Amino acid sequence: MNDIIIGIDLGTTNAEVSIVENGKVRVIADGDSKMLPSFVGIDDNGQVIVGETARNQYLVYPERTIKSIKRQMGQDTHVVLAEQSYTPQEISAIILKRLKSIAENDLGQTVSKAVITVPAYFSDAQRQATREAGEIAGLEVVRMINEPTAAALAYDANQSESKHVLVYDLGGGTFDVSVVNIESGVVEVLSSHGDNQLGGDDFDQQIVDYLLAQIQDTYQVNVRAHSKAMARITRAAEEAKFLLSDQPYAQIEEEYLLEHEGVAIHLSHELSRMAYEEMIDDYINATLDAVHIALKGARFTTADIDEIILVGGSTRTPCIRERLLNEFGFEPHSEVNPNLCVTIGAAIQAAMIAGQEVDTVLVDVTPYTYGTSAIGSLDGSPYPFMYVPIIHKNTVLPSRKSDAFATSYDGQEAVEITLYQGEDPDALNNVKIGEFRVEGLLDVASGNVITLTLALDLNGMLQVSAQEKDTGLEKCIIIKNALSEFEGDALDTAKQRINSLLGQMDPRVIEDQPPEEKTGIIAPEIVAAGELISKAECLFGKVSNEDKEDMSDLIETLKNCIDAKDIQGLDDLTRELQDIIYYLES
Amino acid sequence: MQTPYQILDVAVDANDKAIKQAYLQQVKNNPPDRNQQRFQLIHDTYTSIKDHKSRVAHNLFTLQAADFNTILDKALHTKQVGTTVSAESFNKLLSISMDDTSLLNAFADADNT
Repeated sequence: MNDIIIGIDLGTTNAEVSIVENGKVRVIADGDSKMLPSFVGIDDNGQVIVGETARNQYLVYPERTIKSIKRQMGQDTHVVLAEQSYTPQEISAIILKRLKSIAENDLGQTVSKAVITVPAYFSDAQRQATREAGEIAGLEVVRMINEPTAAALAYDANQSESKHVLVYDLGGGTFDVSVVNIESGVVEVLSSHGDNQLGGDDFDQQIVDYLLAQIQDTYQVNVRAHSKAMARITRAAEEAKFLLSDQPYAQIEEEYLLEHEGVAIHLSHELSRMAYEEMIDDYINATLDAVHIALKGARFTTADIDEIILVGGSTRTPCIRERLLNEFGFEPHSEVNPNLCVTIGAAIQAAMIAGQEVDTVLVDVTPYTYGTSAIGSLDGSPYPFMYVPIIHKNTVLPSRKSDAFATSYDGQEAVEITLYQGEDPDALNNVKIGEFRVEGLLDVASGNVITLTLALDLNGMLQVSAQEKDTGLEKCIIIKNALSEFEGDALDTAKQRINSLLGQMDPRVIEDQPPEEKTGIIAPEIVAAGELISKAECLFGKVSNEDKEDMSDLIETLKNCIDAKDIQGLDDLTRELQDIIYYLES
Repeated sequence: MQTPYQILDVAVDANDKAIKQAYLQQVKNNPPDRNQQRFQLIHDTYTSIKDHKSRVAHNLFTLQAADFNTILDKALHTKQVGTTVSAESFNKLLSISMDDTSLLNAFADADNT
């Protein structure tokens, strides 16, 4: 029996998990909900909460609730949650752990592998951060697939006639567009483009800014400093947006938003769909520009497209359908739920990797160009950082491409090779993703040939090697673009940290716990012991081997007691461990 | 060494559509997710013969030396070219004859025969 691999859509606003069983995809529901809101918070009791509860708490305690963490993935930044600082990877890991436990509860067995979807236009750094979030959550990310491609997989691919489909994927935080050819059970991506910082959140923000201006006009109050009022306005804006999908007007009512100099401030405003559509017009234009870039990448015009698939909750905005109808002359499809088709595609891909028979095979492309810099010319003048693309945008993955370069002066014994991601003819305007040096070259005249080879795998991970043609001298690197803080052991530390945070606070997401215990009430002594164990384990790195051994033995015995639910036996042991920790910390 | 036609399991005189179908069939049997290397070979193979232009290029590279010279002669309407043509001189000839339509016609003939 193969390992179970789950399919996860880790969205900006909602996350979902699904699986293929007996050849059919099933989105795994948590209770009666198939979508887990991507909110993480700490509640009144200091417990970690995820999903709907955290989403509700956001209104009251925005300072200890985090939303839309996906927009910060891949950035070297931290978010603060109840006075503790976390990386975006750690927050995403908490959501992933919840999805993992939802799946485990449902399937009645542990799950350790997943296919996770990412926006097609996610950069190297954003992909790497997603992979790290998986690792922290205890999930091996066997493959990352692009969201619009996953959506196309969920679509019936078995007609033998070639069909050109445009996937328009507008989520909470990102926009992707892909042109795919669906034929004889193969989904071939022909081109992809997008914007990894454009989504429904920006639409909400437009409404928020508009409402803030209204309040400013009426009351001369700047609400921005009041986090609770801001959270309520943000939610009201989002709800108004949903209403405007179905009706021409939305009434926004928020009473007692805050008190300002003894005056109670109420928000009451009627927003028309027309006014709203005007606010988001620039964003919609940007998405249509991207659509045309993607069409051009596939060497198509609008007339070559047979069907349009809409993906992502934000595509419910009526003007998007209208604009696409105007551009293409026919209505987009939305038979598959735009919120669920990505997770469904992830599950199909997971099943394929696990070795199950599936109807559809995927061939994807890279949305980015990768290359290096060389002495050359820019706009007709000599320039030392001319961009030399090696793997072009929209190349089928995996791909391996080589190019030859020559040394520029006699006796040159080393070359510096810098790798970039981007399209600009000036390498310095592209994103630098790595560099390395080849030394010990032959002492010969200029023109010594160095072959540079780039290999990009299915996950978008790049491997680079350079070889001196005459000697075979070779050097290579793998570009993972890991954020410096997650090099080496740091990932393990983050994993432990998140484990202990969840372990002591939210028994429902403890790893490897049999499902029947997850709903049961856990004795406070056991919770305290669990806390103590993780505290002790955190000290392991700082103490002598002897102390470590003592603690390990104690922890072992403690764990046995916990397993046996021997509350009385715990008493002495916890005190003993507490003493050691006290002694070590002082 | 297998020819592209053998790798894709398709007739040597197959048209674009048949070659594409053969490629998709191979992809279905060898998904990139199961064996990246095998898929890469299939895809590169397909790219090398997917349309008229790529087949011309492919045929040119795999021509026997004798045929190669015949075509060159035909293309340039000349018997001046020696029996051994180096890559460099061929390159030169090609660039000189860029606007010589008879050369392109000769390539087309090569593909059709």
